[in-house]
Amino acid sequence: MVYYVYDGSFDGLLTAIYEAYYRHQEPQKILSDESIQDNLFIQHVYIKADQQKAERVYSAIVHKISPAAAKKVLYAFLSEAEDAATAIYRYLKLGFKVGKSVDSALADPYVFRVHVLHKKVSGEAGKMLGLVRFRLLKNGIFYAPIEPDFNILGIIAPHFKKRMPTHDWIIHDLKRRIAAFYSQGQYTIAPFEFEGPLPLDEEEFDFQTLWREYFQNIAIKSRINPRLQRQFMPVRYWKHLIESPGANYK
Amino acid sequence: MDLHTKLKILGAAAKYDVSCSSSGSSRRNRPGGLGNASLPGVCHSWSDDGRCISLLKILFTNRCAFNCLYCVNRAPADVPRAIFTPDEVAQLTVNFYKRNYIEGLFLSSAVYKNPNYTMELLIATVKKLREEYQFNGYIHLKAIPGADPLLIDQAGKYVDRMSVNIELPSSQGLQLLAPQKNRDSIIRPMGFIHSKILQTREERKLYKNAPLFVPAGQTTQLIVGATPDNDLKILKLSESLYKRFSLKRIYYSAYVPVAQHPNLPAISAPPLMREHRLYQADWLLRFYGFKADELLDETQPLLDTELDPKSAWALRNLHLFPVEVNRADYEMLLRVPGIGVRSAKRIIAARRYSSIDFETLKRLGVVLKRARHFITCRGKFYGERNINELALYQMLKPASSRQDSSKSSSEQLTFSSLYPHLFQPQDFHTVITGEM
Repeated sequence: MVYYVYDGSFDGLLTAIYEAYYRHQEPQKILSDESIQDNLFIQHVYIKADQQKAERVYSAIVHKISPAAAKKVLYAFLSEAEDAATAIYRYLKLGFKVGKSVDSALADPYVFRVHVLHKKVSGEAGKMLGLVRFRLLKNGIFYAPIEPDFNILGIIAPHFKKRMPTHDWIIHDLKRRIAAFYSQGQYTIAPFEFEGPLPLDEEEFDFQTLWREYFQNIAIKSRINPRLQRQFMPVRYWKHLIESPGANYK
Repeated sequence: MDLHTKLKILGAAAKYDVSCSSSGSSRRNRPGGLGNASLPGVCHSWSDDGRCISLLKILFTNRCAFNCLYCVNRAPADVPRAIFTPDEVAQLTVNFYKRNYIEGLFLSSAVYKNPNYTMELLIATVKKLREEYQFNGYIHLKAIPGADPLLIDQAGKYVDRMSVNIELPSSQGLQLLAPQKNRDSIIRPMGFIHSKILQTREERKLYKNAPLFVPAGQTTQLIVGATPDNDLKILKLSESLYKRFSLKRIYYSAYVPVAQHPNLPAISAPPLMREHRLYQADWLLRFYGFKADELLDETQPLLDTELDPKSAWALRNLHLFPVEVNRADYEMLLRVPGIGVRSAKRIIAARRYSSIDFETLKRLGVVLKRARHFITCRGKFYGERNINELALYQMLKPASSRQDSSKSSSEQLTFSSLYPHLFQPQDFHTVITGEM
């Protein structure tokens, strides 16, 4: 059995898919180098990321399958699920055969898996658009820490670019140690680490208190519903909020 | 009075307004501005009652000249009163927005001095936000019933959504509980906003830069359970409002007992389950192609609190089922309990590729627990055989009915039996016409 191993980057994955087509050796699975385990019966073939090959595969997905399929593949990749790469490979294999109708083939387990991953990732990205909380720092930068399940920083950054074009901001993914830095019309995503107390601006405290009080007050006491609240806003996302959910029923 | 106290009073006073959605607006940010409306809307938090917080929802003031019995802020009530200045509202909105607490502003108000005076204050606020603060986020403004159409016209140019609250589903209800409001002062501004929206849409077809007018449309809200109006009447009203004024949404708000009065029902908790069923029925009207008449009739004018309205409809129409999922058309698929808009669309897409088996149905998002009684899949029926309507009813209703359902249904009963004289003969006319 042959497994392809790529370096964990999107380009690496697309290169692996390219090689799977042009080498006469079809992989059983494609894995990222972080998730391989030694096994006597499995031959690991390491694939080196190649930007040109990756770009060819990407444009083939857009043109031969559909732009929607390209988006699904990218989102499924960002889920960082162990089986994502293999599912994407099988999904694309079918896609190159049948074209854009691949997204109707939900009976196929790999197509279904890619759809599920896409939905999970876009769902979290959508939720995170609302749950990001900026703090104003002394130097005038708005800083927000997040810890999402999936690698959604790149998906949500453009939204904030449109929303706050005249302010500098940083969204920091603490889990993956990366951050989106925005200033004057452009943002980049780069490795970032920061520890210790934040140098908050004076007026920040006042607005945080106002928001906390407002949040506390807006709930209708005779309708308290912790289950519903948690269903929409799972507890793991509460850590970096300013408000304190649950204070009315604790 | 400091800002903290004001926000506490005027935030808490606005909480009974249900609407919070920030969707439907295509307003774009401008160079140097702050904010950009997001078409699908964004929820920013969920308060302890499980409702989404998308907008900073506040009253401009709770000093009120009106005396609506169901309202906490009615003129004679002994509550702390406060009033914002336009600058305070703008500062709060902009600073909350920058920190990503909110998607925009929901500004309502009590009737301060008189409707026109209040409306002018509201306009001053939203104008300031748009022009001075360069704010391009979402603004939802309440139109004050009885305000001059000219003022409403002016406000519409600055805001994304406007709403006039119907409050109570019948004129008699209004007379009884909100004596200073009448049907006309509510319906007229709705009609005005509707025609302005249509007019603006035409103008924007010709001139791309014609000014926006309430681009996210208008909504309304009504209180459920404060008057004896039944569900059929409410749904008929909703149906005609959607048809006549193309409302984006109607919000139903379970009456929260905030005051004691002989004209008000004596209940201990809001009828939450009834509100929930009304929302379900409302969805059936808007997205599932149902008519109010199909869901309820005069012999059965109340929605079943035990069972969702679609299952209830299917049980009354068992002769139409089972349907074959591989062949039924979209409209019919939508009517199967357990199949929603999304799964129906997926079924249509998936069966174009290959015929669907029972296992795949689950993947498509169909709730088989309910659906299996109403479908066949490749000709095979997966439900119980030889089963009657009653047994099916027992199977479909949730195993442990939520605690509030039994409570609210008994409340409905007590209320109408306590106030039978409030059912007046002319109610039957409006039941048929669906008008207030």
